[in-house]
Amino acid sequence: MHMANELLSIPVATGTLAIAAAGLGFLCRKVRRVIAADKLALMGILGAFVFAGQMVNFQLPAMPGTSGHMIGAVLLAIILGPHLGAIVISSVVIIQCLIFQDGGLLALGCNIINMALVPSYLGYYVYRIVTAGRFSSVRAYIGAMIASVLAVQAGAILVPIQAALSGVLVVPLSTFLITMIGIHFLVGFVEGLMTVAVLAYLQQLRPDLVADSLPGKVRLSRKAVLATLAVFAVIIAAGLSLLASDLPDGLEWSYAERPDQPDFKSSVSNQDSRISEVDDFQSKYSPLPDYSLRASKVGAVAEQEADVGAGWTSFAGVVGSLLTMTAIWLTAWILRKKQSP
Amino acid sequence: MHHAHIDKFAYQDSAIHRLDSRVKAIVVLVFTAVVISLPRTSPSILACYAIGPFAILVWARIPLRFVFKQILLVSPFVLVLALSCPLYDKTPVTLNFGPFHWRSSLGWLRCFVILGKFTVTMLALIGLVSTTRFNHLLAGLQRLRVPRLLVIQLGFLYRYIFVLIDRAHHILRARAGRKLRHLGFRAELRTAASMLGSLFIRSIDTAEHISTAMQARGFDGRWRTLSKLKIRRSDVLFALIAALFMLGLHVFVRPVLP
Repeated sequence: MHMANELLSIPVATGTLAIAAAGLGFLCRKVRRVIAADKLALMGILGAFVFAGQMVNFQLPAMPGTSGHMIGAVLLAIILGPHLGAIVISSVVIIQCLIFQDGGLLALGCNIINMALVPSYLGYYVYRIVTAGRFSSVRAYIGAMIASVLAVQAGAILVPIQAALSGVLVVPLSTFLITMIGIHFLVGFVEGLMTVAVLAYLQQLRPDLVADSLPGKVRLSRKAVLATLAVFAVIIAAGLSLLASDLPDGLEWSYAERPDQPDFKSSVSNQDSRISEVDDFQSKYSPLPDYSLRASKVGAVAEQEADVGAGWTSFAGVVGSLLTMTAIWLTAWILRKKQSP
Repeated sequence: MHHAHIDKFAYQDSAIHRLDSRVKAIVVLVFTAVVISLPRTSPSILACYAIGPFAILVWARIPLRFVFKQILLVSPFVLVLALSCPLYDKTPVTLNFGPFHWRSSLGWLRCFVILGKFTVTMLALIGLVSTTRFNHLLAGLQRLRVPRLLVIQLGFLYRYIFVLIDRAHHILRARAGRKLRHLGFRAELRTAASMLGSLFIRSIDTAEHISTAMQARGFDGRWRTLSKLKIRRSDVLFALIAALFMLGLHVFVRPVLP
């Protein structure tokens, strides 16, 4: 689910980075007032636990060779509360980006939103709503299951939407979306099973952790719960309507992004079976960002074909770059040889 | 403890390693943004942009084999994405590359560009991480007004990742030694859950010990570092060279190369 740099355009990347930074900054300030210094170590180590926990894998049924592992966002949100959970998982995502190079630097904002902020809050609220009232372990397990599935799913749905907003999708959005939903339903299901099983284990050994009495846990008022859920509902509804209504937003976006292609229609209509669908693109599936993108590329390449010299320029560019790199490497090598003896 | 430390080369010493972490981080961020905003149909210009991070990696003596292994390790998601391009975009184009001409589809061109951008931005990111110690990076981030809570959280997390991964290895080895065959889904799930649960409880206990020990030594939620971050002349020079490199490519090479 880690987003790559290549899936994003600069405006979307900066926008999501700004949202994630603002959200994290707000959270840090809010949490800082509540927790004492002795909770800092706990948060850090539970972050490390998420890493270590991802190594504990187990075989999935029906699919030999594949194995599942836990992500842990919902578990941490249930035990630490959503604020601390969100900060811990965000820090995990940041370390994954910086130290393990998983997910790009520019995509960090998206990754924090998709994998930390949204799953933590959504998972926590769903869990709280299901387990409202007197604590019973069966309810807690059902709540954790539903929370995990929904939390993973919400994050996964956001990936294609962000890519579509960036206008970089070649794959039709609906295909991408359905693939992501399908895969992540499975991932969420496994996550839910694991979360429930771990909660059951903890219930036996440390019932104080599950029945949310971990000191320093930050809880929220009912009003805040409802308000946040409403916001999530709007976001997800917007995402779904984006899919349902043939992406008018994606279209407008891609137009706004590239005003430099006046020959949008003509270039599309000169190839393959989709010609007819361009005319009535509102009727069925039409990956619009894709079309506009295609237009841009056809234009560029057509120019390239007209200009025979272009091939030689790019050849010179690539060969020159490679030669430069070889020269740098050789120089460094010679210098090192001179130094070492 | 024996791990393939991902940032083991950060503890070497070179002119690049000595640069200020803030300058390096900002340069890499800007470089990534510039590369990502390149047009999506011109693979050849990426080779020019690769010179910069390549020079840094070579200068800082990071083994290139390690770098490319690392890139290969994190590539699967991008690879799937890139390889799905040729399936969906079959517009025929002719690619001219020096003496070679071949007919191909736009999808392949895009696939190639995505992989190229991925490689170049990863070169830059690895250049940053493997020439900067993580605590220096954190100190730099703190000076760049990243909230202190987050910086401390990252510091703790980084410090204990490898400790807990070690523990996870022990548990995994114990399971491998006892299990010997596939047990069926329910048993597998139960085993994995108990492993995770015990790891979790042990983590919480460790955290309690650590915070008691730290409080006994006067930890009040503030990170104090001995080294004073200072922008020196070499940092300014590095930023200037990087800016000239990117600007030069943008002004002189980008209009010429298709």
